[in-house]
Amino acid sequence: MNATNTSGTARIITHVKETDPMEPEVPFAEVEAVQSKEYIPVIKETLTGMIQRGLDAATKPVFNWAGRNSLFPLHWGLACCAIEFAAGFGARWDGERFGVVPRSSPRQCDLLIVNGTVTWKLSHKLITLWEQMPEPKWAIAMGNCATGGGPFRTAYSVVPGVNKLIPVDVYIAGCPPRPEAMLDGILRLERLIRERRA
Amino acid sequence: MTDLTLAALLPALESRFGPDVKVLPSRKEVLGVVQVKVDRLVEVARFLHDQGTFTHCALVSGVDWIEHIEVLYHLWSDALKGYLEITVETAPEDPHVPSVTSIWRGANWHERETWDMLGVRFDGHPDLRRVLMPEGYRFHPLRKSFELHEPEELEVKARHV
Repeated sequence: MNATNTSGTARIITHVKETDPMEPEVPFAEVEAVQSKEYIPVIKETLTGMIQRGLDAATKPVFNWAGRNSLFPLHWGLACCAIEFAAGFGARWDGERFGVVPRSSPRQCDLLIVNGTVTWKLSHKLITLWEQMPEPKWAIAMGNCATGGGPFRTAYSVVPGVNKLIPVDVYIAGCPPRPEAMLDGILRLERLIRERRA
Repeated sequence: MTDLTLAALLPALESRFGPDVKVLPSRKEVLGVVQVKVDRLVEVARFLHDQGTFTHCALVSGVDWIEHIEVLYHLWSDALKGYLEITVETAPEDPHVPSVTSIWRGANWHERETWDMLGVRFDGHPDLRRVLMPEGYRFHPLRKSFELHEPEELEVKARHV
C-alpha cells in the first residue's frame, strides 16, 4: 500500500499490485534497496560467492582424492556378515591398505556398512547412527539381508532391505559375502566417488 | 504344612480347587498337565509355589487354537526334579489373564513376550510393554489371524503406526 520509505531500510511489499502490462515491473523492495545504499552488502555477498565457488572448484578434487582414499566405516556388526567384516580388516585381507579404517564413533565416519539383518526394532537406531554421521557420507548394504531382507524377506520383524531406511550407494551380494567381495564393494564405491556418481 | 510329595500333588490340587482344575493326560517330559480356570489361576499358582515347592517359573508361552487362546506355564520344582505344566484358556478376542509376577518375579518378561506375540493382556503386570517388536507395532505375529504380508505392505503398516 504505502511505498514511502521512512525508516531508511528496505521494506517487503506484501500486497498484490494491479499490474499495468505497458508499465515495466520494478519491485519496490529493489528500488528502495538501491536508494538506501543497501547494494553494498549485496555486492559483498556476490564477491564472496564468486571467491567461494572458485575455491570450491580448486579444492574439490583434493577433497575428493583425500576422502575416497580414507573412507572410515562405522565399526558395528549386526549378524554373520560382521564376521566377514572383521576378517576383512584383520591380518589376512587387511582392508587398511586401502585407507579404510573402522572407527567406533559415527561422528568420525563417512561410510556406513550395514552388515547383517536389520529388524524393525533396530531401524530407529540405524537411522540415528546414519544421521549422526557428518556429510559427505556413503552407505553400503553388505549381504543379502541388508540388500533385500534375504531369507527373512517376508518375516514380520525384518526390514526388507535397508534402502527402505537410508540411501544406499553400493550393494554387495552374498550370504555372507567373502571379505574380498566386501573390499571389492568398497573399491567400487571409491570409483563412484572419483566419478562423483555417489 | 509340609511340602507335597509327587504322589500327593495332583490329588491335593483336585481336592482343594475342585472343578476349577482339571488334570489332563500327562506326558513323560512333565510331572503333570493341569488345566486351570482363569479366575483361580493366581490362587493355584500361590498354592503350587508355597506348598508344592514349585519355586521357579521356567516358561510362560501361549498357543492360538483359533476358538480359544491357551496360555502355558512351565513350573520347575527343585524338590521333585520336574516340570509341572499349567494351561489356561481365554477368549481369542481381547484375552485377559491375571499376572503371576507377584508370585514369580521371573515371569515378567515371559508375560511381556506372550503379550507381544499373542496379544494376551496380563492384568496386574507391572510393566506390560512389548519385548521383541518395536513400540507402536500393530500386530501380534503369532496369532493365526496374522497373515504373512508382502514386504512393502508390511513396511507401510509398520511405519505408519
